[in-house]
Amino acid sequence: MKGGIDFHTHPILVREMIELHPELAHAARETYNCGNNFQPLQVMLLEMDISGIDRAVVLPIDATTSRNTTVYTNEQIVEVCEMSDRLIGFASVDPHLETAPRTLERAIKELGLRGLKLAPAMQEFYADDHLAWPVYACAQELGIPILFHAGLTWEPGSRLKYGHPLRFEDVAAEFPKLNIVLAHLAWPWVVDAVALALKYPNVHLDTSALFFDNPRDFLHYAMTQQVPLTVFERSLRRQLLFGSDNPRIEIKSMARAIRNIGLSPECLELVFRKNAETLLGESR
Amino acid sequence: MIIQLHRIEVISRNDMDMIDLTPEVDRLVESSGADRGIVFILTAHTTSGIVVTEGVECLERDIPAHLERLAPKEPPVGGYGYYHNRLLDFDGRMGYNAADHLKSVIGGINTFFSIEHGKVVRGGRQRVYFVEYDGPLARTVFIQIMGEA
Repeated sequence: MKGGIDFHTHPILVREMIELHPELAHAARETYNCGNNFQPLQVMLLEMDISGIDRAVVLPIDATTSRNTTVYTNEQIVEVCEMSDRLIGFASVDPHLETAPRTLERAIKELGLRGLKLAPAMQEFYADDHLAWPVYACAQELGIPILFHAGLTWEPGSRLKYGHPLRFEDVAAEFPKLNIVLAHLAWPWVVDAVALALKYPNVHLDTSALFFDNPRDFLHYAMTQQVPLTVFERSLRRQLLFGSDNPRIEIKSMARAIRNIGLSPECLELVFRKNAETLLGESR
Repeated sequence: MIIQLHRIEVISRNDMDMIDLTPEVDRLVESSGADRGIVFILTAHTTSGIVVTEGVECLERDIPAHLERLAPKEPPVGGYGYYHNRLLDFDGRMGYNAADHLKSVIGGINTFFSIEHGKVVRGGRQRVYFVEYDGPLARTVFIQIMGEA
């Protein structure tokens, strides 16, 4: 299998960026709540190497209204992407702001970012609140995917209520040409998320879920017991993407768990690479 | 009395890795000015170790492999589990590396050698290794030199 794409990483521990922008340390520790040591970017790339991952999507979160901060600005994402051609930068905008669509358009057209990250729990909006409609319309027009945080969140102060999959149904229905990805299998609401993906072909799920035990045992529970694995193998093979949630979860452990979960080689090729390439507009 | 504490950074390249620190320890001791004394080597991390063994590639494979058998990263399906596999709220992430902590405990986290005539005293086959159990990562190793000129 050709090397894959990790569709869900946060560059919050990259030491070079902390040295350039010391305020990112506060964002990592207090807003995002990750206490691990800052590491050179080389370490993330080495972990991708041993995990069979060629490229990784790096995500910011614009929480200006809700937290008065950003966990990486769009410009900082561009900066970290300039350090390695293996990183694929996404933008984030604050849906509470009227300027959000223009900010998104500039991030895509001028900064060269490839998708949009929204985190309803941290940004404190419901995905089906019409305040975000202009952002979705803009993303649909630009032809970029939106990666939504969904399900449980570890961030302090972030409420689970914003992450229920059914809050995304209106978005999927009203913007049928907009590809949306629900992160973390929307755990614990895996059945609901799978139902949404079964009904709406523009709804995708990423695998970045680990909330107890280890990746092998957790993903076995979520993807073979909460729902049968056959639903991914047969029905959602083109709507499932590999994501690790690094650095909250290690790429190497998540990749090993997904590769060994029992999906066919053809399905793994879709999950690890082709589905991401399709969403990024690299293949059809 | 010479007392020096050096912090060196080691970058492991694999999940488990053995990195020979001997040349760096020798260099620091020989440039310390200590004619006789002692040097301590200590890892700063709880999922890594310091071991002394013969410097051959086969042992660099055998030692991590044996520790993995003693403390497997993924315990046997249906067998025992690790209490550490849970959310660590102070870190904001899952602690699913219990086995790597256990390897560190089993393998040890420090060692020391005597210093005589300005050089490290060790057996002809002995090398000192930093051992990574949860890499790749940038790691810190403390090298404490105490001696008389």
